[in-house]
Amino acid sequence: MNNTAKTPGWKKGAVHLFPIPALAVYILFVIYPIAAAFGYSFYDWKGLVRGDFIGLGNFVSLFTKEPFNHLFWNAFGHNLYYFLIEMVVQNVLAFLLAYLVFSKLKGSGFLKMAYFLPRLLSVIVVGFLWKLMLNPNNGVVNVLLKKLGLVSWAKPWLGDPATALTSITMVNSWFGIGFSMLIFLAGLQAISTEVIEAARIDGVKGFRMIRSIILPMMNQSLIIITVFTFIHAFEAFELVYAMEGSQGEPYNATDTLAVFFYRIAFGGSSGGDSVALGLGSALAVVLFIIIATISALFLYFTRNQSAQH
Amino acid sequence: MKRVFSGALVTMIAATSMLAGCSSTNSTNNTASSTQPAATSGSTAPAQTAAAQEKVKLTIGSWRTEDIDAYAKIIAEFKKTNPNIDLEFKPTKNTEYNTSLNTALQSGSGPDIIHLRPYAAGAALADAGYLEPLDGVKGMDTFSKDTLLAATGSNGKVYGVPTVFSSTQIFYNKKIFQKYNLQEPKTWDELIKTADTLKQNKVTPFAFGSKEGWILSLTQGALAPSVYGTDFIKKVLSGDANFKSPEFVSSIKQMKDLVPYFPDNYVGIGMDDMRNMFVTEQAAMMVMGDWEYAVMKKANPDLQMDVFPVPPVKADGKPTVTTWVDGSFAVNAKSAHKQEALKFMEFLTTKAFGTVAVNELQKPSTIPGIQANDPLVAKITKNADSISTPYAAVVYFSAGNPTTKATLENSLQGMYLNKLTPEQVAEEVQKSADTWFKPKK
Repeated sequence: MNNTAKTPGWKKGAVHLFPIPALAVYILFVIYPIAAAFGYSFYDWKGLVRGDFIGLGNFVSLFTKEPFNHLFWNAFGHNLYYFLIEMVVQNVLAFLLAYLVFSKLKGSGFLKMAYFLPRLLSVIVVGFLWKLMLNPNNGVVNVLLKKLGLVSWAKPWLGDPATALTSITMVNSWFGIGFSMLIFLAGLQAISTEVIEAARIDGVKGFRMIRSIILPMMNQSLIIITVFTFIHAFEAFELVYAMEGSQGEPYNATDTLAVFFYRIAFGGSSGGDSVALGLGSALAVVLFIIIATISALFLYFTRNQSAQH
Repeated sequence: MKRVFSGALVTMIAATSMLAGCSSTNSTNNTASSTQPAATSGSTAPAQTAAAQEKVKLTIGSWRTEDIDAYAKIIAEFKKTNPNIDLEFKPTKNTEYNTSLNTALQSGSGPDIIHLRPYAAGAALADAGYLEPLDGVKGMDTFSKDTLLAATGSNGKVYGVPTVFSSTQIFYNKKIFQKYNLQEPKTWDELIKTADTLKQNKVTPFAFGSKEGWILSLTQGALAPSVYGTDFIKKVLSGDANFKSPEFVSSIKQMKDLVPYFPDNYVGIGMDDMRNMFVTEQAAMMVMGDWEYAVMKKANPDLQMDVFPVPPVKADGKPTVTTWVDGSFAVNAKSAHKQEALKFMEFLTTKAFGTVAVNELQKPSTIPGIQANDPLVAKITKNADSISTPYAAVVYFSAGNPTTKATLENSLQGMYLNKLTPEQVAEEVQKSADTWFKPKK
C-alpha cells in the first residue's frame, strides 16, 4: 500500500503500455487478417490479382450459383451432423467417464490419464493412425471383424459415403473425449460435498442424484462444453483433411465448411488447381458469422443459469 | 454477467482463427514487401554495372525438393558453357511453393528463374505480368505447340521452357505375366482376356481404387483414347463434339466395365494401397504415371516390372500413352539478371540438357529424340515421343472453379458409388465446361 502511494502518477500510467508488444503481434496476426478477409470478400479476384469491387457479389454466388450453393448446404449439414455426434457420443460418454472417475473408483487416477491420452497426439497423427486401422483390406478393424466371422460388417469405412462421415466423427470423439471429461470432472469437483451429502440423507440416489442434483449444479460446465463442441464442430478440418483429403471424399460425403473453404480459397492440395480468394473469403466470413452469432445467442439465453452459481 | 462476456470473448477468438487462416498469406506479404525489394535492389545495382566477365549468381525457385541432386548435375552441365553464371537451386516444399512464390512475386521479389506449374496455374502468373515472354529465345522451335501450351499465357505468348513430360501407361508385373503365359496385350479384347486369366488365378488384375479423385481422372485420361481415338478431344476443342457425345460416354462406361477386375473394397482404396498391392505382387497391372517407377523400385528392388501402352478397342486403332508437361522454367520479369537467366532458358532447349534431364530426373524429355540409360525409362521415353496423346483434363480442361478436371474426378467417384450413371457423369462434365470453355473454330 505504501509503495503505490509513493509511485508518481506517470509511472502508474506507464503500466498500461506494457501490453503493447503482445497487442501489436495480436493485431498484426489476428485482427488485421480478419479485417483483410472481410475486405477481400467484397472484391472480384482474378487468380492472384485483386480485381474490381463487387459488393456482395461473392456472397450472392456462394448461395445462388451451382455448384457452390449445393456444396455449401451439403457441407453445412455435415457440420451439423458432426456437432450432434460429438454431443451425443463424445460428451455423454465423457460425462459418464467423469462420473466414474469422480466416484473414486479404484485406480481412477490411472483411468483419468488413460482417457486423456489420445488428446496428447497431434490430430494429423490420429487421422493417419485411424486411416491405417480403417483400411478396407488390411486395416486392423476389418481384419478383426473378419476373424470374428462378421465378414459382411467389414466395410470400406472411409470409402463408403454411408459410413465415411460417421467414422470420422467417431475417431474425433475418441480423440476429444478426454478433454470433455476433464471439464466435466472439474464441474463435478466444484459441487460442494455438503449438498451431495444432504441429498443422500434425504434419500436421493443413483440416476436421480445425477438428474436432480449433479447436472443442475454443473450448468457452467455444460454450457462451456456445448459452446466448445459447437465451435469445434463448425471448424472441423484437420481430421477430414488427414483422412479424406481436400475434396471431402468420397463424393463430397465428408465435406465440411472449413474443407470447402480451403479448397476454393487455396485450390486444394494438388497445387495445380485454380483459386478463388474472393469467394473463399466470403465463405470464411459466413462461417465466422454462423459461429459467432449462434455461440453468442446460446450464451445470452443461458446467462441466467450461469449467473446462479 | 461478466462470465457471459468472457465466454463470448472466447467464442469470438476461437471463431476468428478461420478468418485469420484465410488471409495470413497476405499479411506476411505486407511485412515482406517492406524489406525485400530494398535488399535486392541494394545488392544487385553494382552487379549490373560491372563487367560481363564478373560472376553473377541467380536463384532457381522450385517445388521439387526431391530433385536437388539432379539439378546439381544439370547446373554443372550448364556451367560447362557458362562459367560466369552461378545458379542456386532453392526448392520450397511442394504444398507451400505456390503461396510463397505468389507472396514474393506480389512484393516484387522472388527467384530469378521460376519453376512454373504447368497449364492454368502457370498461365495465371504470366497473365498477372510476373513473367518475361520467351518467344524470341533461341531453340524454342524445338517444342511442339501442344507442348508449349503448358506455359502459354492467355495472350498467346510463351512464358516458359517445358522440361520433362509426365506420362501415363500400364505397368505390369513380368513375373506374374510369365507364370500365366501372358503377353503384352495388343488390343483391348486381349487386355480383358488377360485380366480374366489373372482373375481366374486369384490375382487382382488391376491395382486400382476410387477413393482419391486424381487417380480417376488419370485413369480415364489414359484409357479413354482407346475408345475415342486421338482426335476426339480436338473435336471437343473445335466445338464439333462435346462431353455428351457418345464417344465420351462410352469412355466412361469403359471405366465402369472394369469394376470386376478391381480389388475388393476398391471404393476405399487410395494410392498407397494401390502401390502396396502392385509392389507386393498381389495385383498384376496398374494404370499409373511414370513417376511411380522410381518409388516402386525403391519399395521392392526385386520387382520385375515393365510397361505397355493402352491398347486400342478398334482393330485399326493405335496404342497410346497419355502425356502432359510436368513443369517449365520461366524468367522473373523483375529479375536483375535477365540476360543470364535467358542464357539458362536457351540451355534448356538443348540436347545436352535433355540427356542430363532424362537420366537424372528419370522422366521423358520434352526435347524429341533423347535416349535414356535405364531400359524402362527409355521405353517410357520412346512411347512419349512416338505414340502420345495429351492428357485432356490437365492440358485443356484444368480451368473453372471447381475445375472441369475436379468435376470429372468427383462425378466418376459418384459413378463408382452408384450415385451417377455414365451419362450423368458426362452431363456433369459438360455442365462444368460450359461455365468457362468456348470452342475455337
